[in-house]
Amino acid sequence: MMHDIAILGGGPAGMAAATEAARGGARTVLLEESLAPGGQVYRKPVFDGPDDANRRAGDALRAALAESGAEVITGARVWGLGGGPLVAQGHAPFVVSALGAEVSARALILATGTHERIIPFPGWTLPGVLGLAAATILLKAQGVLPGRRVVVAGQGPLLYAVAAKIIAGGGTVVAIVDAASTGEWARALAGLAARPDVLARGLAWRARILAARVPVFSRASVTEALGEGRINAVRIDGRIIEADALCIGHGLVPATEASRTYRAAHVHDPTLGGWVPVLDAERRTSVPGLYSAGDGSGLRGAAAAPFSGQLAARAALRDLGRVPAGPDPAAFARAARAGAAMAGMMALRPALVAAIPPDTEVCRCEGVTRAAIEDAADAGAGTMNQLKHFTRCGMGPCQGRMCGEAASALLAARRGVPVAAVGFATGRTPLRPVSMDTIIGDFAYADIPVPAPAPL
Amino acid sequence: MRAADASSARNGERLAAGASIAMVGGMSLRSTGFTRNPPIAITAFGREVAAHPGESLAAALVAAEVREFVAVCHMGVCQQCLVRVDGRLVQACLTPVAAGMVVT
Repeated sequence: MMHDIAILGGGPAGMAAATEAARGGARTVLLEESLAPGGQVYRKPVFDGPDDANRRAGDALRAALAESGAEVITGARVWGLGGGPLVAQGHAPFVVSALGAEVSARALILATGTHERIIPFPGWTLPGVLGLAAATILLKAQGVLPGRRVVVAGQGPLLYAVAAKIIAGGGTVVAIVDAASTGEWARALAGLAARPDVLARGLAWRARILAARVPVFSRASVTEALGEGRINAVRIDGRIIEADALCIGHGLVPATEASRTYRAAHVHDPTLGGWVPVLDAERRTSVPGLYSAGDGSGLRGAAAAPFSGQLAARAALRDLGRVPAGPDPAAFARAARAGAAMAGMMALRPALVAAIPPDTEVCRCEGVTRAAIEDAADAGAGTMNQLKHFTRCGMGPCQGRMCGEAASALLAARRGVPVAAVGFATGRTPLRPVSMDTIIGDFAYADIPVPAPAPL
Repeated sequence: MRAADASSARNGERLAAGASIAMVGGMSLRSTGFTRNPPIAITAFGREVAAHPGESLAAALVAAEVREFVAVCHMGVCQQCLVRVDGRLVQACLTPVAAGMVVT
């Protein structure tokens, strides 16, 4: 069945885009990988748990989506992208293949969110080491503590959100290790002046952390996770602290696999989280019919995401010949301002990359160390695609999502060029690892069309 | 988990609501303030583990302090939590628990 507008990703941007598109009269379908729309910040909890502002915001977006008439396919593991600019004959519909579903649409809005950046350090592959965003999912959606004695480390607002949630859930935070100085925080918080609600939430986290007397190390970093088969201590610069879990994250990275696969133009902008698709003011990419919204098009936070989703949907409606109500880019700009301050706190810190020891695995899927990456750079690898060919860095099951940020920063530094100059790995199907039998399905060899041989 | 509870749940039966689950080493890693479904039993790396329907397999394994597995992102990205469930390779973070599941 042909849809007018398909939306990839059911976070706040995707939910708002689908709602807007369906309200505008378009045949709309939303594909979401998890079992319910919501995304990471507004993830639907699996159990009744403590009420909070994010939960209410998520419920409101979910309710609007449900009423809009948009078709919603959850549990959709999207692995294949086709059509659009990938077809030689002019402008073809976009084809999105998921396990168990295939969707064709005249317009495609990407709302694929972010994944976490973790700059490697010795011991980061030990069980018990997990991301900050991962910890928020465990704590808020699942109600599970990552450990009994937890070190929370890295950068950005998630540090304090995770620490406060662990304490609220009955766990013990033995240390907070913040890469930023208090001065950096003071400047960033000034950017939140227009969002007293967000500031108040941050202050409540801070109060809980102070009340629990958690030691906070500023301008500090985790230099090693220690343990045999499982983390049992964390080295923080010179000091060793016993811990059975380490939640660590160094910011968020826009997930641009889909726009890369469609060969849209991208630009490297550290203030937006790294590589992002080039967009016009109404969220059009350089590929006709392809739009991008939410944090996947540049970090501006969950509060701003629905506005960019609406903008993208209205642009798609207009481009399909429908006339929606006028867009309101100002609403997005206002909401994005607070997000920009926090995105700045989550930008890649070159000093953390510089501190990676030579024998530390950067690509944990393929076991590629910093030294191996630098050897490849010296031997002539000048781009991320060439680094893959030289070392297999980024060719394992995570497809470069975990190592790409650190690897490109290492490669660029070794080559003496800006990060933008080493590019990114070309986007390719499959977008997610899938087993051959699940994508092939049942067929008879006799049914495979064989073209007539070329005349000799 | 008490041995009697574990054996009654081994065939996929639900444990009685409120069945006691003894915690190894003191406190539970499941935080307070959540209303959970009654526990079921799964088998993970040869050992009986309690889980609550609705939880992701990764969360249940973290809560049970199963050391044979790593989960880094809990959102389907990192592929570190790949396990076999009843022989089939899955991401534990995207797989809801089900009674009688055998994780290897």
